[in-house]
Amino acid sequence: MIKFDQVSKTYPGGHRALEKVSFELGNGELAFLTGHSGAGKSTLLKLISVMERPSAGRVSINGVDLNGVSNRQIPFVRRDIGIIFQNHRLLERYNVFDNVALPLVIEGMHHKHIAKRVHAALDKVGLLDKVRCQPSTLSGGEQQRVGIARAIVNSPPLLLADEPTGNLDPELSMEILRLFEDFNRHGTAVLIATHDLGLIARMKYRSLTLNHGRLSQDPLMEE
Amino acid sequence: MSLLFKGREAQTSSQSKSWIMRCYFFVLTVFRQGINSLGEMWRTPMASLMTILVLGLSLTLPATLYIVVKNVQQVSSGFSDAAEISLFVKDSMTEQQTQTLVKRLALYPEVDDVKLISKSKALEEFKRVSGFGQALDYLEENPLPNVVLVTPTSRYRKPQAAQQLLDKLEGEREVEFGKLDIEWLERLNALLSLLKESVVTIALLLLSAVILIIGNTIRLSIMDKKEEIQVLKLVGATNTFIHTPFIWTGIWYGIVGGLVAFMSVAMMLWWLESAVSMVAGVYQSSFVLQGLNGNELLTLLLLAVMLGFGGSFLSVHRYIKDIEPDKV
Repeated sequence: MIKFDQVSKTYPGGHRALEKVSFELGNGELAFLTGHSGAGKSTLLKLISVMERPSAGRVSINGVDLNGVSNRQIPFVRRDIGIIFQNHRLLERYNVFDNVALPLVIEGMHHKHIAKRVHAALDKVGLLDKVRCQPSTLSGGEQQRVGIARAIVNSPPLLLADEPTGNLDPELSMEILRLFEDFNRHGTAVLIATHDLGLIARMKYRSLTLNHGRLSQDPLMEE
Repeated sequence: MSLLFKGREAQTSSQSKSWIMRCYFFVLTVFRQGINSLGEMWRTPMASLMTILVLGLSLTLPATLYIVVKNVQQVSSGFSDAAEISLFVKDSMTEQQTQTLVKRLALYPEVDDVKLISKSKALEEFKRVSGFGQALDYLEENPLPNVVLVTPTSRYRKPQAAQQLLDKLEGEREVEFGKLDIEWLERLNALLSLLKESVVTIALLLLSAVILIIGNTIRLSIMDKKEEIQVLKLVGATNTFIHTPFIWTGIWYGIVGGLVAFMSVAMMLWWLESAVSMVAGVYQSSFVLQGLNGNELLTLLLLAVMLGFGGSFLSVHRYIKDIEPDKV
């Protein structure tokens, strides 16, 4: 699904965020991406969603080299990737329904189909009763779940999550992770960046550890 | 459209993939965005109102000047024909010779009518009109010449043709000189074209100001929605999708601003109408103040829409590309 091949990223000013990172995430795989803050987790996710371009090396998704993707094509790459943010990034001006519907509206889908899919997505995250609420009236966990519903509403084959449980208590975090597991069971590849090591320890999934921009051997691979 | 995963599209959307349908949905989306941005303007009326008023008033001034030119033209078109040419007959000519001149002139194809005002008749009229009646009696002889009034046919009433006819008539040996009163007409025409030029210049200046005003308003609105634009870019919105609402906002500003301009012009005309008809009444003229007709209203609106489009287009292309989602 995702393949990093000797990828380095140096920011203007000389900060080396990633150095010769190589790994592969299989189809339908769920993996954690961990590391101290500043280790390059966010940069790695940015490279996948083409918010940044690698300074050297190659990132490819499903065999498509992202270096060959022009700026005009970036939106179409992002439509295949569901992205979940720590601060959920909902639009305060719109209600829950409109927020979740956004990726479908962008694709120009007919509103009849939109309603069906938005309700299905909200049902999956258990917020069907909040469909007409404003995001600001929801709790932190609920807002995060709306963000997840938005990411999965167009059934992307790949989900990226950056610290999705960062602001949540352990119980809510677990709830969110169960959701990811559920999507993963339906064939979606999931990559979760987190520094919550307790959470990772409780779940037996592969974890990629970044240390000062370099990828340490992940323990599951060694076993 | 899926770039990375071929065949995903079929499961993403159950819509037909023919290009006609795709165009249809594209147009549908664009229009939906148009309605949405109108709704948004409605939700923030104060901010929109200021821009619209500035726009409307900026368009009112050139529209008013245009109406002034139009009405002056309407007035002057009544005078635009040189109705008569006066020919002063040489003093040495006898009554007989003058009569033959009149007959000869009447045969000219360019001439519609010829009328002789003999010097005695002219003196009588002068006495009557001028009020110098008694004083003129003391003159030993009539100082006035015989005058032939020539009315050209309609083709020869235009200033230039009339001038040519005058030159020809002055060639007649009985004629001392001729007079065609079109100089003031030429002056009026020159003034009018000066006025027209200044309308164009002022309009150009104001219209550039309008583009800048709209551009700046849209720029503020883009800055205001920075967060939203970032999210849109993150969930895969194309630039066209992000730009369209802002372009629409510019267009709506144009439409409403154009209507404001039209209404203020209409109100101004309504205000002036009674004063104008009073002036017209004093001059016993049937002058009616002309407003903007349907075509001109359409032109005004179209112009306003184009300005709105231009301003927002500039801003959108300048500022949106700088807003990139920087933080995951």
